[in-house]
Amino acid sequence: MEAAKMASPKSAPKDAQVMAQILKDMGITEYEPRVINQMLEFAYRYVTTILEDAKIYSSHAKKSSVDADDVRLAIQCRTDQSFTSPPPRDFLLDIARQKNQTPLPLIKPYSGPRLPPDRYCLTAPNYRLKSLQKKVSSTAGRITVPRLSVGAVSSRPSTPTLGTPSAQTVSVSAKVGAPVSLAGQRFTVQIPSSQPAGKSGIPGTP
Amino acid sequence: DRQTLVAVLQFLRRSNLRESEEILRREARLLGDDLGGSVATVATSSPGVAAVAAVPPGKGEARGDCGVGPSSRREPQEVGSPCAARSPGGSRLSEQLLLLAGAFAVGGAVVVEDQPDVSAVLSAYNQQGDPTLYEEYYSGLKHFIECSLDCHRAELSQLFYPLFVHMYLELVYNQHESEAKSFFERFHGDQECYYQDDLRVLSSLTKKEHMKGNETMLDFRTSKFVLRISRDSYQLLKRHLQEKQNNQIWNIVQEHLYIDIFDGMPRSKQQIDAMVGSLAGEAKREANKAKVFFGLLKEPEFDVPLDDEDEEGENEEGKPKKKKPKKDNVGSKSKKQDPNAPPQNRIPLPELKDSDKLDKVMNMKEAARRVRLGPECLPSICFYTFLNAYQGLTAVDITDDSSMIVGGFADSTVRVWSVTPKKLRSVKTAADLSLIDKESDDVLERIMDEKTASELKILYGHSGPVYGTSFSPDRNYLLSCSEDGTVRLWSLQTFTCLVGYKGHNYPVWDTQFSPYGYYFVSGGHDRVARLWATDHYQPLRIFAGHLADVTCTRFHPNSNYIATGSADRTIRLWDVLNGNCVRIFTGHKGPIHSLAFSPNGRFLATGATDGRVLLWDIGHGLMVGELKGHTDTIYALRFSRDGEILASGSMDNTVRLWDAVKAFEDLETDDFTTATGHINLPENSQDLLLGTYMTKSTPVVHLHFTRRNLLLAAGAYSSQ
Repeated sequence: MEAAKMASPKSAPKDAQVMAQILKDMGITEYEPRVINQMLEFAYRYVTTILEDAKIYSSHAKKSSVDADDVRLAIQCRTDQSFTSPPPRDFLLDIARQKNQTPLPLIKPYSGPRLPPDRYCLTAPNYRLKSLQKKVSSTAGRITVPRLSVGAVSSRPSTPTLGTPSAQTVSVSAKVGAPVSLAGQRFTVQIPSSQPAGKSGIPGTP
Repeated sequence: DRQTLVAVLQFLRRSNLRESEEILRREARLLGDDLGGSVATVATSSPGVAAVAAVPPGKGEARGDCGVGPSSRREPQEVGSPCAARSPGGSRLSEQLLLLAGAFAVGGAVVVEDQPDVSAVLSAYNQQGDPTLYEEYYSGLKHFIECSLDCHRAELSQLFYPLFVHMYLELVYNQHESEAKSFFERFHGDQECYYQDDLRVLSSLTKKEHMKGNETMLDFRTSKFVLRISRDSYQLLKRHLQEKQNNQIWNIVQEHLYIDIFDGMPRSKQQIDAMVGSLAGEAKREANKAKVFFGLLKEPEFDVPLDDEDEEGENEEGKPKKKKPKKDNVGSKSKKQDPNAPPQNRIPLPELKDSDKLDKVMNMKEAARRVRLGPECLPSICFYTFLNAYQGLTAVDITDDSSMIVGGFADSTVRVWSVTPKKLRSVKTAADLSLIDKESDDVLERIMDEKTASELKILYGHSGPVYGTSFSPDRNYLLSCSEDGTVRLWSLQTFTCLVGYKGHNYPVWDTQFSPYGYYFVSGGHDRVARLWATDHYQPLRIFAGHLADVTCTRFHPNSNYIATGSADRTIRLWDVLNGNCVRIFTGHKGPIHSLAFSPNGRFLATGATDGRVLLWDIGHGLMVGELKGHTDTIYALRFSRDGEILASGSMDNTVRLWDAVKAFEDLETDDFTTATGHINLPENSQDLLLGTYMTKSTPVVHLHFTRRNLLLAAGAYSSQ
């Protein structure tokens, strides 16, 4: 670990000192200095979330002020949502018993790569949309690039930039069923693999 | 009134009228609310923490109703209801599942202890076990044990830790916080040093709500802590505990501890210290009695292409007259069928493809040139240091023929390097593939795309640090497991991700391909290990039983067994065929991080955070050796190709070589040893240590013996 360049204990704010003490009590002696900040942030976020939830519950119960029961309820609900813990041991033993009763399946000989059905694999091809016409009129500065939803553009080198009237290749990954506005553009779908090319459209999600 | 109510409830339970019992109890709860701690109901909405309480041996019925799915029942259950409590703290965790509960729909486990004697129950109720007296009970026991004879004292001292933890947890569970705290303060210093980590976790559990989130402590509370005590010591203890008026401790002992009694000499402190340390005590002797097929599978016979220097190997079924060449042979060839080897078709294994056969031929050719290692002939060590990893290197693997090395990183990337001058190439695209000549001899070269040749390939896909990587034996696939809960299968021909196996919903700490390919095992934070096959999207086997995370998973060389090391400080050996746990090895004092099977399949070496390497005989289920020397966690263990040398790599920046042949010779396996599992370990670590090699501040993360017995090591340079 890098030498801890923490603020000297006297000048660190009080809650940072408390956090450092907690870490020490739990036996953690080596940690990066930013860990304290992260823990403080987490503590702040957690406590405010709980208190906000508690306020909602107490107002729902038409109480004038937040009391311990509201806070307790808020904690329980949050625990079920965010801090799930692994299933309990007897549950695991039970499903293990069920699962282990089925005999091991025989292996088919002479098959190719042994992979699960396609639906469960990540081997579906990616789709690309390729624009045909380059010079859609540069009149009136109309944006010729269809609007894409976030995440639909793969990291291809020819990422379209706004306003450029040159030939553009717009790539849409096959998994995102993003509605692409096709206003005024003609596109063909270019599928990299040797499957019959389909018309443009939303590629089916696997 | 109260006593008749209790008696009625008891009667209802005995006649199995559970519903009416519950209804009555629910109403009774209203009466019982003001009557002290032990009749408190818990109204929490924990998503299905259902504990199965311990059942006193030989008495009563325990019906664990872990309903999954349709049979899940949500019933209000009570904590420490007077009818069921043998000890005041109550032996059940009862939760009331609110309908708003989260995703888990686990029915409450209703465990009913049938009390044949109602009056005993009533007396148990009356005698609630005053929380303030817990300290007295404990110190009374402590006094008794310290005054007992020396030969018994070591064994009886084993009681301290589990009793301490259970009493503390009971106090916490029944919400006697101040008593719990003072109890802890007074007695936690007496416990053995190797329990310090657990005690620290325990000190943070001060309220009942804290316990709910800590699965490990809940499991501890509901599983039986196993102690092995000789009959004499046990009689002594029993007599003492039963004669006192307040036999709370006896109740606790009966409920939470399983005392495995053996006939014979009481063990010495040293013997005990070697074997204890795990979260659940030691292993019961029956747990290690199942037959384990630790032999190796026979290698198939096939023709070797003629080569002048190679006369060996094509016929691996030893013909009695054929002189065994001086080349090394894998596995035992002298018998037709090794009685310790599993039948060939015990578990289905993929058939050998042509490429696999070629691989085996290469393997044998390399084996011919293998250096024979020994105390006089130590291997050379070649260290691969990962630079600029910024403490992000979390997993390393090397292919069997030492041609590729993969690193899993905390930034969720998986990077594959070629170790040989031959670069990594990916297969051509489909369009190009249709153009090549499929009949040519070097078609396997032509399908590779030269434009993509590089020494490094980076694989993106995980969304969390990659904690485990494993190459397939045929070098076509790579597995990686990560904190995001998935195990990913990558193709090493296209360098893309093929499948993501989802099953663990929690970080997966380790994964490994089977030595024959097709199967792989993964272990994670959810305390189970899973066996998968590459063509099934769900696991084939689930190995449940550990009390804490499964940190390390390895296949046995014959692919029929899986060893898992866990943070509960035990190693379990599981049978792939039916998922049973066939061996439990205790003795480490810290979470286990490395496992290695010897090449002959008979022995297992394990390394943990306590810096010791322990050696186990799988057939007998005994600890046969302890190698002390490392000062920090051991992350890498590997036997040499013929099993003569054991190499261990650790966070203390050293690689140590140990003499495995000497460590495993002259095992005392007389009847007493096999019956009781007790051994006297010789203090011979110094004799077995053949060499210590220090790196320059690079912890050793992976070790690998090449086919010619050159030792490769890998680690990331850390600047501290």
